[in-house]
Parts: sequence; structure tokens; C-alpha cells
Amino acid sequence: MYLDQYLIDSEPFYRALGKEVSYFEAAYGDRLPIMLKGPTGCGKTRFIEHMAYTLNKPLITVSCHEDMTATDLVGRYLLDADGTLWHDGPLTLAVRHGGICYLDEIVEARQDTTVIIHSLTDDRRVLTLEKKNEVVKAHPDFQIVISYNPGYQSVLKDLKESTKQRFAALDFSYPDSKTEAEIVTHEAKVNEATASLLIAIAERSRNLKGHGLVEGASTRMLIHAGKLIVRGISLPEACNIALIVPITDDLELRDSLKTAIASCV
Amino acid sequence: MPVTDPTNRADLGTIQSKLVNTSIDTLETRSAFPGKWFNHWVQCCNRLSSAGYGFNVLSAYIHFAPKIAQKFDPQVALDLANSVSKIAAKTGRIEAESLPYASYVAANLLKDQNSFKAWIRIIERFISIAPESTFTLLDKMESLLSSLSVSRLESWILAGIRSSGGNPDQRLKFFSLETPESNRWLLFESGTVNFTSMAPRLRTLIRALWNIGPPLRELPLSGTNTKNTKLRSSFGRGIIRLPTSFSGFEHEQAEDLYRACISHIGAHFHFSGPSFPVKGLKPVQIAVISILEDARVENLAMRKFPGLRNLWLPFHVAHIPNSMSSNQALMAPNLLNKLALALIDPEFNEINGWVKKAKTKFFNCEKEWEKQEISRELGGILGNDLGQMRLGWQFDMKSYIVDPPYRDDNWGLWDFGEEEKPTDILEDEQMFDSIRIEQQLDDNSDQPDQERKENDQNEELSEKPVQLEIQKSEGIPVARYPEYDYLTGRERPDWTTIIDYRPPIGSIKNVERAIEQYAEVLKRITSLIRAARVSRPNRSNRLQEGEYLDIDACIDAKINQRMNLTPDPRVYGKWIRKDRDLSVLVLLDISESTRDKVFNSKESVLDLEVHATALLAQAMSKLGDPFAIAAFCSNKRDDVRYFRIKDFNEPFDQKTFSYLGGLEGGFSTRIGAAIRHAGSQLKEQQTYRKLLLVVTDGEPSDIDATDPRYLLEDARRSVKSLSHEGINVFCVGLETKGSSYLEKIFGRRNSIVIDRIELLPQKLPLLYLRMTA
Repeated sequence: MYLDQYLIDSEPFYRALGKEVSYFEAAYGDRLPIMLKGPTGCGKTRFIEHMAYTLNKPLITVSCHEDMTATDLVGRYLLDADGTLWHDGPLTLAVRHGGICYLDEIVEARQDTTVIIHSLTDDRRVLTLEKKNEVVKAHPDFQIVISYNPGYQSVLKDLKESTKQRFAALDFSYPDSKTEAEIVTHEAKVNEATASLLIAIAERSRNLKGHGLVEGASTRMLIHAGKLIVRGISLPEACNIALIVPITDDLELRDSLKTAIASCV
Repeated sequence: MPVTDPTNRADLGTIQSKLVNTSIDTLETRSAFPGKWFNHWVQCCNRLSSAGYGFNVLSAYIHFAPKIAQKFDPQVALDLANSVSKIAAKTGRIEAESLPYASYVAANLLKDQNSFKAWIRIIERFISIAPESTFTLLDKMESLLSSLSVSRLESWILAGIRSSGGNPDQRLKFFSLETPESNRWLLFESGTVNFTSMAPRLRTLIRALWNIGPPLRELPLSGTNTKNTKLRSSFGRGIIRLPTSFSGFEHEQAEDLYRACISHIGAHFHFSGPSFPVKGLKPVQIAVISILEDARVENLAMRKFPGLRNLWLPFHVAHIPNSMSSNQALMAPNLLNKLALALIDPEFNEINGWVKKAKTKFFNCEKEWEKQEISRELGGILGNDLGQMRLGWQFDMKSYIVDPPYRDDNWGLWDFGEEEKPTDILEDEQMFDSIRIEQQLDDNSDQPDQERKENDQNEELSEKPVQLEIQKSEGIPVARYPEYDYLTGRERPDWTTIIDYRPPIGSIKNVERAIEQYAEVLKRITSLIRAARVSRPNRSNRLQEGEYLDIDACIDAKINQRMNLTPDPRVYGKWIRKDRDLSVLVLLDISESTRDKVFNSKESVLDLEVHATALLAQAMSKLGDPFAIAAFCSNKRDDVRYFRIKDFNEPFDQKTFSYLGGLEGGFSTRIGAAIRHAGSQLKEQQTYRKLLLVVTDGEPSDIDATDPRYLLEDARRSVKSLSHEGINVFCVGLETKGSSYLEKIFGRRNSIVIDRIELLPQKLPLLYLRMTA
């Protein structure tokens, strides 16, 4: 099959927060466009990988950025020795051959780039390739999923209202402590006690959101810390490397976080 | 030893006959002033003698100068005589007499000759600025130099001079170490761990651990006997008070003590409930119940944060010094210490029956630790037992100090009802009341709009114009900022206080008229701003010319070529700024000098400022750019008045017009502090660029700053620090005699000067252009 390289071969570990798995399956049943909303490092990408695996569909991921143009998504002509060759972009591949196209951090892209998905997100389900003079009708298995981090961007860099309204959205946040501990245990391969301790430590960091830190420690950062611990780094040092140093340069903040972490042990 | 130089023999004799125990010609002086130096030495003493300062001065000099000569070199010692003369002339004999000994002390404590010379220079400058305090300064030199280097000493001295604002009595109090301020600055300069240095970390720590953010206040060291005052932290009514410093603790240990302290109080906030009523309890019971409650919350805290044990335990010291008799060992304070230790450290084994009983009972009811009543019950019983033990002493509440030192004084746990409260608490109440308002505003997290709402509820709004003579108590202190001292090259933290005042309401006609009158100017400014491109650069492709090749266009062109079609030549692209992503805060100087007339005009400076601001605001409002307006003046460093006329999220409307119309010039211009505060408002904006536009007539001054250069250098520094944080600071200056200062503060290219409104459109582009570069 054309998109075989995008199939996920082993089950990505995912612990559900709520009913998001069943919600997604229902949405996919009708190929509704889905928006995943939540802070960084809380499992959005892992979730979509899990769903792609469960539904046995290829997943094509595009990391969006400011310089991305429509051609990057849709495709372009390339030159070769004899003439020109059309090359499908990631979006077109998914549309043509029936994969899930996942646009990660879509707000980063410029609004004039984002509008090309409009024709795919209503019941037209077509993609117009102007340069090629072709209208591609979406494969029945095609679906578009986007991820969105509210709160980081300025007012200028937000999705257009007309874009937002085309999607159904699922909210993601940090899991409750028990679930989070399970996730950290599994992903970092630390024992449960260490995982629970890391969650307790994360809470101290999350208390400082808005009081010196933009965001507290994410689940991903805890997994990093866990992995370091498995490799023999002491817990305070691992926490320093994975949880404190990356997110703040303020010496006093670092000092207080270190003290708070030491209190947990 | 025979005198070899005949010329001075007669003088030598005259001097020697006057001296009792000192002599000019001794083994010591001969070795200190060898060869030709001895001649100079004698002449020097001679001069000093004939100057008529009296015997004591001369004697002091003769006694100590040789020692200084031996420590450093003869010239230094001889120069000292000049200093002695100076000080005698400017201040008096007593001061002059104390200089030689102080110099001797300095010579021993300072590391080298250069430091000593610097020290002498500082003293000489001091005697001309603060003659009344010279004696006391020299008197304390030994203890000062044992904790301060020369540059830190200078910094501390300057803090004293600046904070006294030219008042000799204030200065004397400062240098006699009789004010909390002077002690605080001494601690700061000596690098001692103190409240100011620890407060930010402690706020973060209590937030991280307990997710609370109560205001932290400083407990000043009271009285002169600061070394013996044992202060403890305290909490009550949601406010935490910490000592300026903990005497007897230094460096890392002192930092840990503060950390232990805030963690303990945090535990109280989290686990302690409503206060215990004191009714019917004896003082000893109160003390014991408090200890029980401390143990209870600490043990609960350690369940959640086991590491806190390592923070708290090291401060529990409950051993008996060998010198104590066994009777003394049973003294209550010692027993109480042991009780405290037994309840936190299960491994501590104590023979004393009472402590043992307490420990057993406490740990037996472990399952009920969540209930606050157990402290009262158990503590009441134990306290009663202790009171009845015939130990031959009386428990004295007044002199009792809670130990270990990281624990608070526990007043926050008790409800005194109608009983007489200890006197400290009464004083504190007043401070608590005035702080209550601050409580909601300070400590970072609140939005400015909440303050405004409070104001709205508190004041009855009358529509007639209000005098600018607003009482200080009507303003709300909202922030403290450092101030830069160019003489030390450092900033003094928390030196200025910004007080937020409600702007007086005036007539809207002033602004309306200006907008009408200068309609043409307004049009030009609007189109000027509209055309200004201040945003992130974006790619613009498919251009005829540009900075880079647009690959997609190139490929298209090539394709067309191969298909034998005409290629489109627009294959370039360039980076351009298309939009305007900019917030502006206009800061108006409304000091007394704005009452002056503008050079060559009938308008006052303030009028011109208001008109210029109105036009700018109208233009920005029309274009939809986010902007704010504020005004400032100052009445010494603890009353820098800030008037928020329009916030970013408020519309530019009649209310703003009336505030602008109501502005009146008065007081002084402490520009640096106002710039810093305006900067903190701008920092919250999310736009790509942020601009602080200061509208002023230039000269920074304030009545407590006697050095004309001081505030100017601070203003310059404030502009620099804002630039470092990504905020552009520009100035629209009004043409008056003071405007030469503007360049020094803002930089030549960052300021424009106008004397008529009509010049605005002409000169404004210069500023906007600077931002697009």
C-alpha cells in the first residue's frame, strides 16, 4: 500500500484521561475533523499515534511553523533531468491515499496557509491542486487532525474563527496523579515509588505556574527525569537536569525549586 | 639616641617638654621614619602642634602615626596629619582626636595601602558632607570594617547620606545605628543573609510547597542592642512576618534557617485551624500547647514532605552543657526544648518522666493528628503537670522565647479575646490594618484592574475638580524599585516606593479643544503611525527585486521555460514588516516645573504635554493600537506618585479626557522610578515591540536628592535596563531650559524636542523609524 511507511507498527502506550478514545472513534466514524487542545507535553501526539494504531490507519504528521507555505502542505513540481515531476505534499498524500493527516501546532503556521484545509473540512472533502489543475477527492479513510496549544500565542497568532468552527475539539490536560504515575512508570521504566515521588515533585513545580514559571513540569519532563534515574543519576540531580534547568534561568527560582524538591525526598 | 639633625633641636625640645608619655624621638619613631623621613616627621609634628588644635589631638597623632608608617610607609603616615588638620578645621577637636586611632584600626583591617588611601578619601569627603556624624562614624569604625570592605563601607555611607535627604539629625541617627534602616543597609552591604535577600526565594518556596502566597513583611530589629535581640518570625491575619536577620547564624546556615522558618509557617497555614481561645489557661499551658501544635503540624507536613525533617531537625538543640547543674537542667526552657525535640525525632530518648509521657501520648494518637483539638487537650494536661512540678521557678511569659529559632512565636495560634494582649501585638495591629489593603495588591499576582475596582468602591466620586493635594494615605503603595547610585556603581534594592493615586477629574474641554484645534496635525500623525511598520519581518515573495531567491517562483519559471512559455521574472523575495505589532505607554511628567511656560510661547509645559498626548492617543485609538497613559511626579523616594490615566484594555473616551484635563503640575521629578514602574506595566503586553514614550521637560530632581547628578544617572540607568528587557524608551521633550538633560538620559537619537504641537508630525517619524531599524 502506498502509505505503508506511515503505518505505526507497535502499539504506542497510552493511558486514557477520560473518554477521549471513544470520542475519537465516534468522530472518526464520520471522518469529522478533530482538534486536540492542551498544554505541551501532556500526551496529544501520543494519543493520535495510539488512535492511528488502533484504527490501523497511516498517520502523516506535519510540524507547522511560520515559514510554511501552502506548497509545503500540498505539493510542488520538482525538476529532474528531462522535465518536471509533481510531488505530492504530506496533506495531499493523506487525502489521496486515505491516511490521517496530523498538523501539529497549527497556530504557528500563517493564516493564509491554514485556509487551504477549509475545503477538506466541510462536506466537500476535496483538495484543489491549482498548479496541477487537479481536484483531488478525499479518500474515504482520510481525516484531518490538528493540535493547538492555547495560551502561548499572542492575539495576532490565533486560528481564524472560520477555521475553529470546522473542528470538534478534545481537551487534554495533565492526568491525575495515579494515572500520571502509571504513565511515568511505564515510559521511564522506574518503579512505582519513584514514579509517585516524581509526580509529587511535579506538583511543586506546577504550583509555580504564573508565579515565575510559564508552565510547570510536563509529563514528558517527568519521564525524562525517570529515564535518567534508571541510568544511575541520583534523583535530585535528575530532577535538576530534567525539571529545573530547562525551564528557568532565574537563579533564585532554581534555588527555591531545589529546596522544594529536596523536601519531597 | 643623639639627635643628628641640628636644625630641629630647638623645636624638638619645645615639643618634648609638653608631652607626658609620648615622645617624638623614640626607638619606634626612628625606625618608622628612617633617615630623611625623620626630618619630615618632626616638621610635621611641629606644624600640627602650632596649628593650635590642642594637646590631645597632637598626642593621638604622635601615638598612632608611627604604627601606620610601619604598616604601610612613612608618607602615608605624614599625609595623615593633613587629614587630621582638615577634620579639625571642619568639625572639631574631638573628631580630630579620634581620627588617628580610627586610622590605625583601618590600617590593620584593610588589606593594602590603596584600600587605606581610599578609606581616607572617603572619610575626608564624609567630614564635609556630614560633620555632625563624623565622631560617631569614626567611633564605630572597628566594627564597621570588620564586616565591610572599603567599597561596601562607602556604599553604606552613601545609603545613609541619601536616605537622610540633607537632614543632619537623621544622618546622626543613621550613623549611630539607631534606625532600622541603617542596620538593614549594614546587613545588606555586609552580605549578611537577611530578609531582603531571602524574600523572593521564600515566596517561591512557600508557593511551591503549599500553593499559597501570603504577603511577607519584615520585622525590624528594634532598639540599639541589636545583637542581643532574639527575634522570631510571626504570622497572623494572613500575613507572615520575618526578622530582618537571625543573629548568630551566617551564610548557608542562615539561609536554611529562613527556609525552615517559611516551611514551618506554611505548615501552620495548611494544617492549623481556628485560633485557640486563651481563656482559662495559664501561661505555661499556652507555651506547651503551642509546642504541641507545632509538633502536630510539622509531623503532618513531614508525611507529605519527608525531606522537611532534614531541614528542621538540625536546629533542635536540646543538650545540657556540662556547666549546668542537675537542678538547672530541669528548668522549664530546657524541658520545653527537649519536649520539642522528642516530638519531632522518634529516636530521641529522654529520661525525664514528663517528656517521656508527652512523647508516648503524642505518638499514640498519631491517627488523630489531623484534629487540632488534640494539641489543646494534650498540651493543656502537660502544661498543668509542668506547672505543678516544684522546680523552684516561675514560668515567665515575657522573657520566654520560642526555640528552635525557625519556629514562629505562635501568637498567630491564639485568640486573646478581651484579655490584654502583649504590647507588641497592639502596635502591630495598626500596621496590620494598613497592610490589609496592601495584602491584596502586593506579592505579584494581581492584575492592576483589581486595584482600580477597590478605589471605585472606596471613594465617592464627585464630578468637581479635585485638588492635586491628595493625602498620602489616599494613595496605595503598589511597588518598590531599586535606585542606582552612580558613586558606587550599584543599585540599592527597594529604595523607592511607587504610590498609585487616583487621577483627579478635570474638564474634558481641554482635550476636546486640542483635538479640534489641531485636527490637521492629528490627521498627519494618524497617517504617519498607520504607515509605520513595526512588526516581525515576514516573507514577501514573487517580487521583481529582493534579497533572496524565491525557489517556488524559480521552479515555476524554469518549468515555463521548458514548456516554451514566457517565464515570469518575479523570482525574488524579501523580508518586510507589514503590520504594526506595537504597544505604547505614554508617561507624562507632571512635576512643578511643568507649570513653566514653554520657551517662546504662552502655553505651559503641561498644556503642551497634554495636547501632544491627546493627539497621539486619538491617533492610536483610531488605528486600534494598544496604548496606555500614565502621569507621575514625586515627593521624595517613598512617595513616587503614579497616576494611571488609561490602561491598555480601557477605551480612550470621555473619562480619559477628564483625567487628562484634570492634571496639574506639582512636586518633583524622580524619573527613574517612574520609568521602571511604567516598564513593568508594559512588560505584560504580548506585542512584538513595546514602546515607552516619556513626555517631559527634562530635569530629574527630588527634594531628598541633593546631588544633582544622582537622579540623572539613575534615570539613565533605568532607560538602559528597560532596553535590555526589550522595551524601547523614547522621549518627547518640551523645549525649556532643562531639555539638555534629555540626551543624557535617553540618548540623542531616542529623543525629540518640540516647542509647538505643529512640530510633532515632523519629528515623530524619527522615533518610529528607530523601531523599524
